Amino acid sequence: MIWYVLWFCLSPQTQSAEPLVPQEALVLLQAGADAERLRDLETAISDFRKASELAPTSGIAFLRLGNAYMEKRDYSAAIPALRKAAELSPGSLPVHQLLGFALLARGYAAEAIPHLEAAHEYGALGIAQLQNNRPAEALDNLQRALEKNPDDPDLLYYLSRAGSALSSQSLERLLARLPDSARGHQALGQNYYSLKMYDEAKQEYAKAISLRPDLPGLRLELGQVYAASSQWDKAEAQFQEEAALQPGNAEAAYRLGDALLQQGKMKEAAAELKRSDDLRPDMTETLYLLGKATAISEPALAEKTLSRVIELERDTILAGQAYFALAGIHRKLGKTAEAGKDMREFRRIQSLGDARSPRRP
Amino acid sequence: MVRITNVALLSLLCAAALLAQQANSISHALFRVAPLAGVNFVLRNSPTSRKYLVETMPGGVALLDYNNDGLLDIFFVNAGRVRDPMVKPFDFDRNNSAYWNRFYRQNKDGSFTDVTEQAGLANAGETNYGMGVAVGDYDNDGYPDLYVTNFGKNILYHNNGDGTFTDVTARAGVAAGGWSVSAGFLDYDNDGKLDLFVTRYLDWSFEKSKTCGTGKATYCPPGEFPAISNILYHNRGDGTFEDVSVSSGIAALKGHGLGVAFADYDDDGFTDIFVANDVTDQFLFHNNGNGTFSEVGLDSGAALTNDGKMLSGMGVVFQDYDNDLKPDLLVTQLPHQPYVVFHNEGHGTFIPQELETGLGALSGKSSGWGVGLEDFDNDGWKDAFVVQGHVFDNVETFDSSLSYREPPLLAMNRQGHFEKGDPGSNVPVVGRGAAFGDLNNDGWMDVVATSLGDRPQFFLNRGGSAHWLTLTLRGTKNNRDGYGARVLVNGQLRFATASGSYLSSNDKRLHFGLGSADRANIEIVWPSRIHQNMTGVKANQFVVIEEPQGQ
Repeated sequence: MIWYVLWFCLSPQTQSAEPLVPQEALVLLQAGADAERLRDLETAISDFRKASELAPTSGIAFLRLGNAYMEKRDYSAAIPALRKAAELSPGSLPVHQLLGFALLARGYAAEAIPHLEAAHEYGALGIAQLQNNRPAEALDNLQRALEKNPDDPDLLYYLSRAGSALSSQSLERLLARLPDSARGHQALGQNYYSLKMYDEAKQEYAKAISLRPDLPGLRLELGQVYAASSQWDKAEAQFQEEAALQPGNAEAAYRLGDALLQQGKMKEAAAELKRSDDLRPDMTETLYLLGKATAISEPALAEKTLSRVIELERDTILAGQAYFALAGIHRKLGKTAEAGKDMREFRRIQSLGDARSPRRP
Repeated sequence: MVRITNVALLSLLCAAALLAQQANSISHALFRVAPLAGVNFVLRNSPTSRKYLVETMPGGVALLDYNNDGLLDIFFVNAGRVRDPMVKPFDFDRNNSAYWNRFYRQNKDGSFTDVTEQAGLANAGETNYGMGVAVGDYDNDGYPDLYVTNFGKNILYHNNGDGTFTDVTARAGVAAGGWSVSAGFLDYDNDGKLDLFVTRYLDWSFEKSKTCGTGKATYCPPGEFPAISNILYHNRGDGTFEDVSVSSGIAALKGHGLGVAFADYDDDGFTDIFVANDVTDQFLFHNNGNGTFSEVGLDSGAALTNDGKMLSGMGVVFQDYDNDLKPDLLVTQLPHQPYVVFHNEGHGTFIPQELETGLGALSGKSSGWGVGLEDFDNDGWKDAFVVQGHVFDNVETFDSSLSYREPPLLAMNRQGHFEKGDPGSNVPVVGRGAAFGDLNNDGWMDVVATSLGDRPQFFLNRGGSAHWLTLTLRGTKNNRDGYGARVLVNGQLRFATASGSYLSSNDKRLHFGLGSADRANIEIVWPSRIHQNMTGVKANQFVVIEEPQGQ
């Protein structure tokens, strides 16, 4: 947790700068500390407030008062006390730490940043920077904080947010400065694709390709737009070009195989899927499609690849689908007992979760 | 060096000519799309801002020859008026002539006359929102009767044989209730009397209605409402029916039934039933031959897509597309899921083959409803025709690649592989029902399709030079319509039925394209297992075949 209770003492340089505190105030500070230990925060706050009134130039009194409010989670009340403490003890790390937390908790991220920097509180600093639209710095600081607490859920959450924000910011900069670049159109194409605005996405990708016909990935993405709108012939054309541009790209071969399969070009699909499997072996999606493509022409190969899917995936939805496809092959081959066994496995996996949810619209 | 003989060269040239001919037939529209004189029906479904699910589902159409004059007549099911919002008492203004079902008699000159009132079909029931229609001669009197399904109570109209119909629902006991969708007549126990199967969609009412979608309200998927069972009525033969849904096993399963089609898929002599379910496993009810059915969809391979996922099944046709003499299934559904072809492998099993057949590539963007497998170019292979249009009237706002209005799909069958054909119209409509038949008796199959909020479309076959043969069965021991007979003509199979498609009823005559053959060999296996053979039957004619007596 980022927010933790701070038991502290003043740093040496703060102590040296601290003016003399009247005895009565020291007694109150001690009483307040005792009450705080007993979780009697109201009494502690009362004692610390009286101490700060008796010693208005003492950073300690205001710091203890602010800390008590922090423990009470009354950040609004903590902030004035801590601001006063920071004014009186500008070199105190605990003061900056608490004030930074309090300000951040109340949404004053920009004001919190210098205090958290001074206190070297990288996690909270990263969060404040993220909220202040500085994702690149946030990313660095959150990663530093994660080195100490690698499984902190808050830090992990904000790190992912920072990554997204940095991505968006980079995209905005790209579009603002280089809107007519190939990458600019590609980025817009991706945006339209995610919004299911396929016509607009196609236009953007077409512009990108016209500007940089040699750029790898553009046709792969455009092909996926066509595939999403079930225009498989056009998807195939794009994947063909991508595969020619990147003959070593397993994904391009896989997607080309899928497009061919969807058009009933089983032989060509099988060839392309085999090529994809050679490039990157044991990708289960590739093996599953290869099983479908060869179910009729090469049932032995289909059995082998689907069995491999099951071996790799075990009880996932894809494993269930592989069992279902195997059942069809076994039925066709007259192996009814094996088909029955496949269907039992299919049902078993389905019972583990709804593997059959259809898409709508 | 390869030496090409004269014969081989000739073969190559012939093959090239054939390919060119095929290419031409693909590039030219098969149909002329035109209104029919005298038909002014509009399917009024009354869409509302409340997105009542019922309003996006109608309506059916039937092709039948009600007066036995040899000309097909047309019956359209209308929907009704839905108020926005709907308030009690729930009625649909069906007494208003704008919302009547409509019946058009074909005249000898090809025009039509609206005979709705004089036929006694104007009263559709104030509390009935119209859905579909089935046709069958349930009392074997030689005149086809009508069964109209509704959200509400269904109606059985007995054909009196004098140009009029009588509502006999109460006596017959077939009103059902709730939300009925498609229906069909079949003789499931081979007792010579037509029984009746009714699909039901959801346990839904206006009180239970709700909208779905975030930000943009739209119709809810069926999973938002409880599933419901289908109904099987057994014909007692005295003008009444018995609800045998429970005893037959049909009611044991609940689904979201839309389309229904019949065929004897395992050739055991008993008619089986396939129900196209929307986002539920498809149901294949195997007829056990003893009055009961077993649902075998999953184990037979006809319940799910080739990825083991549920279909949003809507329309269905159960005929043999690849001439292997085994009835296959074609099920239409929503976009991003291709229409599914369940190929009958024999031994009671099916395998999805929409990818291998090419139909998948033609259908991934569309929402299919009414569907037929008919040989539109008479080349001896049954082609597919699908009327299309999405469920959501605002689907474009969710996914710009989809359209609420769509033109139909014509997929030409090239020896078992489907290729895109030209249906003659690219006008997008909200297609729903479709009935298939030879409207002008020219030997070439036509299509009548319904569209929400619109006039129907008539796809009139331009014809060609290929030969054909059309058979009318007349049962004597079996049901008079011959439903359930297995008919083979020159290596093609048709299962005799008027059912299939969505909400609709087809011309009961059995049409066969013969290609270049000018003669046909016919083999009929009647439901009674009587075999009847005819050889050397001349092409290009309508033949009435009566079931032989005394065998």
